[in-house]
Amino acid sequence: MSQMEMPLVIFTVLSQTAVGLVAISAIRQHAADGPAGSVRPEWMTAVLLLIAGLVASLFHLGHPLGAPMAIKHLGNAWLSREALGIGVFTALVIVGFLSARGRVNAGLSFAAAAVGLIALFFTGMTYSPPGFPALNNVMPFVFFLLTAAMVGAGFASYFTPAEKMPMITRILAVSLIVGLVVYLVVPFLWLSGGTVMRQTGLNYIFSPLYWARIVVGLVVPLIAIWRMRTVPAWVPVLVLAGELIGRIAFFSLAVHASANMGGIY
Amino acid sequence: MKKQLAFYIDAKRCIGCFTCAMACKNQYHQESGVIWRDVYELKEEIYPHRERAFYSLACNHCENPTCLNVCPVVAYYKREADGVVVHEQDKCIGCGNCIRSCPYGAPRYNPVLKRAEKCSFCWQRLDDDRKPACVLSCPTEALQIVDLAEFDEANAVQYPAGFPRYPSLNPSVRFRLPAMPKMIRRKL
Repeated sequence: MSQMEMPLVIFTVLSQTAVGLVAISAIRQHAADGPAGSVRPEWMTAVLLLIAGLVASLFHLGHPLGAPMAIKHLGNAWLSREALGIGVFTALVIVGFLSARGRVNAGLSFAAAAVGLIALFFTGMTYSPPGFPALNNVMPFVFFLLTAAMVGAGFASYFTPAEKMPMITRILAVSLIVGLVVYLVVPFLWLSGGTVMRQTGLNYIFSPLYWARIVVGLVVPLIAIWRMRTVPAWVPVLVLAGELIGRIAFFSLAVHASANMGGIY
Repeated sequence: MKKQLAFYIDAKRCIGCFTCAMACKNQYHQESGVIWRDVYELKEEIYPHRERAFYSLACNHCENPTCLNVCPVVAYYKREADGVVVHEQDKCIGCGNCIRSCPYGAPRYNPVLKRAEKCSFCWQRLDDDRKPACVLSCPTEALQIVDLAEFDEANAVQYPAGFPRYPSLNPSVRFRLPAMPKMIRRKL
């Protein structure tokens, strides 16, 4: 992984965590009976995650002052759409945080969650370029959706009242199980692709990063939740660490199509 | 079809001398490690002979360029007159999106200017009725320019073995395949 891509690891994971946090907050407040929980600190956390992610994203640009120009090509470039989507999502979350009085307005909550998910789709399209055959498909979007569900649900547990902890525990457990299945299956599916896709699969399977991501971010948290029947405070931190390791793997292990020029594709 | 300039790579004539790559370097003095044109040896799995065969590759100036499509700041444009894809470096913010996206690895990151750059097809030379530096330098005429609107070479292929196939981009490049060496065996 080049130095340029570490800021993208931080930006994508933190912004997706914020999307998950806001979406789960909207569901917990307005789609389930009972107390809302600590909504204002929760949305403030989402704001801080987004600001930290956006600041990090500037460091992957050769010329960070040109960042505002990145929305010039909305007609074609998914990166422009992503920049706009994350920008609108951040604005909605800030308004939600500032206007929260016990709860965030239902319309605003669901609008923010919907815009966040749309922005997440744009991010998925941005990172599925033709240059990486293994990623030139729906998988980046699936990976990013899982990040939002797993880390978002994990962080939401900090702001969830005891009455609703079983709901959050179920959401996190199901997300972790789906994540475990997806991450265990996908690299082996890549083995059936062309030379470059197969090399990406092999890179994953023989990488300590990949297995560290499986154990730290998925298996240990699942065992902890299964044994304790709730979400211990240290589990979301572990899930976040697993996602960061997984994202480093995402940016460093995928093989570029041009790497095999002169060989069989 | 509109005029679309393309590189014609005659692998039958190419001797892998790297003169084209050096001519490009001499013309533009790219930073160390930044390569606009490179010569790739065909691997043995494709060309299993003692003789070697090569493709001299640079930007393919695609009909539907992914670099142009993914650039968030519209730093690329395609010339109407000849289909050459031009990168305007002063507009580039160095996001690296074109570098990740191009499956042919044409755009490269300039670590000094912190911006992307790629083969320009020597469009300034074209406008002056001169050939690109790489084409001009080739001692065996293995690298040529053709206009795909008029090009009619029956043996030319767009996606030979060893070159990634991306029909959605429609790379403006054509190849003549390397010759099979003549095998002479002594009768026992």
